[in-house]
Amino acid sequence: MKKFLSILIACAMLLGLGGAALAENEAYVFWYTFADVYLSSVREALDSALEESSIAYVDNDANATQATQTDQITTAIASGASLLAVNVCETGADGIAQNIVDSAKAAGIPLIFFNRSVSPEVVKSYEKAVFVGTNYEEAGIMQGQLIGQYVVDNYDAIDLNGDGVISYVMFKGDESNQEAIARTKYGVEDADKIITAAGKPALSFYDSGNANKYLVDQNGTWSNAASFDYLQTILAQYNEENGNMVELVIANNDDMALGAVNALQNAGYNKPAEGTKVIPVFGVDATDTAKELIKNGFMTGTIKQDAVGMADAIRTIAANYIEGKDAFDGLNEAYVIEDGWKVAIPYGVYTGEE
Amino acid sequence: MAAANNGSRTSTRERWTRAGDFLLDHAMIIIILAMVVYIQTQRPAFLKTASIVNIITLTASRLPMALGIAGAIILTGTDLSAGRTVGLTAFISAIFLQKLDVAGRFLQSAALPLPMVLLMVMAVGGLVGAVNGFCVANFKLHPFIVTLATQLIIYGAYLTVSGAKQISSLDARYTTEFVTRTLFRIGTTSVMSYVVFSAIVTAVMWVVWNKTAFGKNMFAVGSNEEAARVSGVNVTMTVICVFMLAGATYGYTGFVEAARLGASTGTLGLNYELDAIAACVIGGVSFIGGIGKISGVILGVFLMQLIINGMTFLGISGNTTYIIKGLVILVACAIDMRKYLSKK
Repeated sequence: MKKFLSILIACAMLLGLGGAALAENEAYVFWYTFADVYLSSVREALDSALEESSIAYVDNDANATQATQTDQITTAIASGASLLAVNVCETGADGIAQNIVDSAKAAGIPLIFFNRSVSPEVVKSYEKAVFVGTNYEEAGIMQGQLIGQYVVDNYDAIDLNGDGVISYVMFKGDESNQEAIARTKYGVEDADKIITAAGKPALSFYDSGNANKYLVDQNGTWSNAASFDYLQTILAQYNEENGNMVELVIANNDDMALGAVNALQNAGYNKPAEGTKVIPVFGVDATDTAKELIKNGFMTGTIKQDAVGMADAIRTIAANYIEGKDAFDGLNEAYVIEDGWKVAIPYGVYTGEE
Repeated sequence: MAAANNGSRTSTRERWTRAGDFLLDHAMIIIILAMVVYIQTQRPAFLKTASIVNIITLTASRLPMALGIAGAIILTGTDLSAGRTVGLTAFISAIFLQKLDVAGRFLQSAALPLPMVLLMVMAVGGLVGAVNGFCVANFKLHPFIVTLATQLIIYGAYLTVSGAKQISSLDARYTTEFVTRTLFRIGTTSVMSYVVFSAIVTAVMWVVWNKTAFGKNMFAVGSNEEAARVSGVNVTMTVICVFMLAGATYGYTGFVEAARLGASTGTLGLNYELDAIAACVIGGVSFIGGIGKISGVILGVFLMQLIINGMTFLGISGNTTYIIKGLVILVACAIDMRKYLSKK
C-alpha cells in the first residue's frame, strides 16, 4: 500500500511536470508576487496578449522576495530565454536592478521592466532594456485631487461630528516602496490643496500622536488584511460615540481599501442599501473588486491603473524585440514614450462609470 | 518438497521486500533522478555547463545557512531566526561597505576593511545564536518558539536602525572584486568566488561535526539529551554553541547575499530558513534528532535547487511550482519518518 502510494505520488509529480511543452522564443515573465490583485489582472491580460501573439511565455512568482527573483532570472538566462520581462521586487535600490540589467546584457537578452519602478540610469545602461510603467506620482496626485473635490462637494455630510475638520486615516502599502511613498504624500497633499483653496481646514490625521500620519502594512504587501486589522482596532477607540470617528479613509491601493470597507461594514457602516452612514473610502488600481464595491456604494472612488494597457504595451515591445524590430514599433499612441527608455501608461479616475 | 517450496517462496518475497525497502528508502533520490531525466529530454540545455554552473552557484549561496540550521535540527530543534539574521547582517555589511562617494551614504565613517566586516557580521550572527541557545538550554523552551520570538526582535531592531532604507551602491571591492568576483571561466560561464568560500565553510563544518568533541557532543545531545548529560556532556554549552555556530553561518550568508544581490533591503532573508530546513530534511537530517551528515545537507540543498531550476527550465508556472515543492518536502519527511519507524 505504502509502495503503491509513493509510486502514485511520484507519477503525479511527473505528470505535473509533463504539462508544459514550450515552443521556441520563450518569454520569461518575473512577477513580484502572484498574491497582488492588481498585478494578477495585469498577468491575466498579459497571458492572453502573449498567447494571441503566439509568444510562448512562462510566469514566475518571486513571492515578494528579491533573492528568489534574482535567482529565477539567472536560471532563465541559463535556460536560453529570448526575452525577460521583470516586475522587480525591490524598487528603492538601484544596485539590484543594475545586477539584473548586467546579467541580461552579458547574455544579450532583451529586458522589459514593468509596473514597479526602476531608475532611468539603470534602464539606460543597456540598449535593449525599457521600462513600461506609469508616472507613479500621478496616481497619488490624481487620488488627492479626487478626494479633495469629493470632500469639498460633500463637506458637511462627511464631517460626522460637526467639528469642522475631517479626520482621516491613510493606509500605506510598503514602508520603502517609492510608489507607496508618493501616494501617501500626494494623496493627502493634493487633497488639502483643493480643500484649503475652498476655504476649509486641511485634513487631519485621526491620531494626533502618530507623527508619520499613516499606518503601514508591516509585511510590505499592500494587503487588505493589514488595513482591515488596523481599522477594526481603530474603530474600537475612534467612533461616533466618542465623537472622534474616522471620517475618511485613503488607501495606497484597492486591496487596502477593500480591507477598510470590510472593517467599516463590520462596524455597521458603508451599506447604503440598509441606510447606514457611508465613510468615503478611496483606493488606487481600479481592480474588479473595487469597481464592484464602488458600484454598490461601499467605496467611493479609485484611480484606474490600466492593466490591459500595460499588458498590451509589454506584448508589443516583446514582439518587437523577438522579431528584431525597434522596441517601440507600432505602440499604441495613447502611451507616452519618454526619452527612449520609458513607456508611461496613463492613469484615470474611476468613480463608478462604465 | 512442500517445505522447500515454501522456503523458496519466502526468500523470494523477502528479496522483493528488501528491494521495495531499498526503493522506498531512496525514493527521494529516485524521484529526483527521474525528474532530471525528464527535464533533460524536454530541455537539452538543462545539463549544459552554463546551467550546471548556475545550479552549483545557487547551491553555494544557500549551503552554509543550511549547514547551520542542520545543527539545530540535529538537536531536535529548528531555527526560524535565520532569515531575519541574514537580513540584519546583510544590512550591517552593506552600510560599512557602501561606496565612499555615494550621495546619502548611510554611515559617515570610513569604510572598514573587508575581513573585519565579515568577522563582525559573523559575530553578530553568533550573538543572536548565543541568545537563542541560551534561552533554549536554560529555560527549556522549544527552539521553534524561541527563534520565532528572536526573529521578530531582530527584524524590529533592523527596522529601527535602518529606518527601512535600502542600502545600495556597494563598494566594488566588496562585490565584483571579492564576493562575486569571477575566479575562472568554464567555457563562457564564470565561476564566482563565493562558491569557493562556501566550499571552505563546508569543509570547516565537516571538521567541526566529525572531528571535534563538540561535534560528537552535538550528536549525543540530539540523540538522547539525558544520556548525554549523564555521561558528562555539558548540554547547555553544547546547545548554545550549536546555535552560535548556526548564527555565524547566517552572518556569513548575510555578507554574501548583500553583495550577490547588489543591495540590502527590508525583505532580504525573509523565509530563507524555510528553504534551508526543507533542504536539510530532503538531505536526511532528521527531526528525530541526532541524525544527519554534511554530505546529506549538501545533497539536499543541491537537489532542491535542481528541482527549482528544473521547473524554471520546463516553464512551469509559479502556481504549480509551489505545489511540487510542497510535495517534495512532504514525501521527503514521510520517507525520513519511515526509516526511523523501521529502525525502532
